[in-house]
Amino acid sequence: MKFFRTLPLAVALATLALAAVAFAGRGITVKGSDTMVILGQRWAEQYMNQNRGQIVQVTGGGSGTGIAALINGTTDICQSSRPMKQDEKLKLRDRYQTMGVEIPVAKDGLSVFVHETNPVKDLSLAQLKQIYTGAVTNWKQVGGKDATIVLYGRENSSGTYGFFKDHVLDGRDFAASCQTLPGTAAVVNAVSRDPNGVGYGGAAYTKGVRDCPVRKDAKSPAIMPTAATVRDGSYPLSRDLYFYLRKPAQGDVKKFIDWVLSPAGQKLAVEVGYYPLK
Amino acid sequence: MPKSRRIAWCAAALCLSTLAAPARAQDDATPAAADTAVVTHEQLLRVLEGYTEQIQSLTNDLDKLKKIKFSGYVQARLEHGEANADTVKVSGSPYTATTANLNRFFIRRARLKLTYDTGALSQAVVYFDGGSDRTVRLLEAYVTLLDPWTAMHDHQLTIGQQNVPFGYEIERSSGTRELPERSRAENVLFSGERDRGVKLVSQWTPQLQTTVGLFNGGGVNHPDFPNSDPTLGKDFVGRARWSQGTFDVAGSYYFGRNLVPLTGADVVTEKSRAGLDAQAYWTLPTLGGGTLRGEWYLAHEANPDSAKALIVAPTTANPVRLLKTGANAAHLATDAAGGYLMWVQNVGDRTQGVVRWDAWDPNVDADHDQYSRWSVGANWFWDGFTRLTIAYDAIRTETKAGTRWTDPQDNLWTLQVQHKF
Repeated sequence: MKFFRTLPLAVALATLALAAVAFAGRGITVKGSDTMVILGQRWAEQYMNQNRGQIVQVTGGGSGTGIAALINGTTDICQSSRPMKQDEKLKLRDRYQTMGVEIPVAKDGLSVFVHETNPVKDLSLAQLKQIYTGAVTNWKQVGGKDATIVLYGRENSSGTYGFFKDHVLDGRDFAASCQTLPGTAAVVNAVSRDPNGVGYGGAAYTKGVRDCPVRKDAKSPAIMPTAATVRDGSYPLSRDLYFYLRKPAQGDVKKFIDWVLSPAGQKLAVEVGYYPLK
Repeated sequence: MPKSRRIAWCAAALCLSTLAAPARAQDDATPAAADTAVVTHEQLLRVLEGYTEQIQSLTNDLDKLKKIKFSGYVQARLEHGEANADTVKVSGSPYTATTANLNRFFIRRARLKLTYDTGALSQAVVYFDGGSDRTVRLLEAYVTLLDPWTAMHDHQLTIGQQNVPFGYEIERSSGTRELPERSRAENVLFSGERDRGVKLVSQWTPQLQTTVGLFNGGGVNHPDFPNSDPTLGKDFVGRARWSQGTFDVAGSYYFGRNLVPLTGADVVTEKSRAGLDAQAYWTLPTLGGGTLRGEWYLAHEANPDSAKALIVAPTTANPVRLLKTGANAAHLATDAAGGYLMWVQNVGDRTQGVVRWDAWDPNVDADHDQYSRWSVGANWFWDGFTRLTIAYDAIRTETKAGTRWTDPQDNLWTLQVQHKF
């Protein structure tokens, strides 16, 4: 009978010991935003070059996927191009009893892409909302040619999708005709091949398409996403890019984040196409 | 011609020749000249457009499939109960005692939830359990309608079989809870946690949420379930929760009726419950998050012990069920109270310790019917989906042995592995 009384405790202790060995020294894992994946990889490469023996693994999947990984414990750092939602914070709290730690690591201007031949000069947030909710379906209605607007967007696991939905559509749903694509590069590629296409994504990806200036409202000036307009917040679709942790950073994770926030890490963000925090 | 363009043309030619291969196989007489033909820009575009259409079609199908979400968890358990206490089945009221094995392997919960996001304004859930009784039973089935008037769908109406929205512990998934079972008071007052009805959840501000609902009242573990509500009237439940993030507090109220069946006219007694719950959270630099949770219930309920004392039990010779002479039917229901206080502390990302004290008194005016329990447990998270739990329940109850009241030896070890998907 004593055997059975001590059996559960013995099994638990043995499992703990095995696990402690199995998970020792696995490096730092970073997962999340596809918008930030190139930035994260460049940070990791340069950090590992400067800190021999350190391992930082970066993967994408979308901000939602990264936050899910943070909650289920399969990543140390989540990269997210949008703030965590309330229900995600509650899930994190349910498991770890914390609301998470949010660290802004760079700034981004979410660009609106149109084809290089598109004559539309600029778009207001209200017009973008009408276009992406399906209320406006022809370029003629916003000062363009007589052609049906083709919408390209991101999957709902994407932080860029969430940011655009919250800040442009005011939480409304995208039009059913919006074609969802797996990354900003795919959106840019689709718009570059489609004279009637419109898409959105991180400013760092603007190649082969035209950035469309954005007006906050009909009376405001049209603003292009540049380092100055994103940093001072005058560009209407400026946003912070985040790291999320379960608890305050310590050890190797803290060293890596400190480096990302250092002048060297921020300089690298600019080289990749984003904007520094200060 | 730039190198990249040459590579693109070669790739296109290879692509076309691959597509043409099956046709050649069927017609040996086809000249081999097609292999060397120059591919025009238009031909290449047609091929790419064909692929684009196929990908679009696949994407559309995939988008439909993504609306279907399966989730669930399995809890496999080894329990060791003390002598005379194979019995410590902590759900149900009164719990049934089966003696024999002191040690047993069993599946406590095996749950599968299917969620379908039909559209932007509605959602359906069907949730099954194939746990300890070896039968698959419907746990939940409901439709939620989201209001179209607010951007974040702040008001949501749910109709069907669902958790009763009372307090904190009831709606917290067993797959998330830090100890194997809920508190005793909750198990008795809301046995099975679920009922059929309707609820309206409204998020007025980021902090303030209210819930009101109407339910049949019997709950899924009632002997009459799933027949219609035996008391005819519907039970009301309401709750207001203030959530600050690191401190949440809520008050809940429930009002309905119990029906005590008798020969002739049945007796309907009041069923009311008031609850207060609060949770505080903190983060320690090295250990991680911790929480202190408490919940207290006050209730007026039909009491099985009162029924035994006040009702003449039917026999073969006299198969009637009547109140004893002089008995007051109002005394079939008694004031009850119960609750718990619980401390959870993470130790790093993979380990968690937990201590809980819970108590239940089915009749605050009587002695020797109280139940209290100290529970101590540890969770270790194997990976993001699997955890091991070890827990020890030290239970205090009183039973009469001769003329003395004693605490039976019914403490319990639980070792559980859970996989959540």
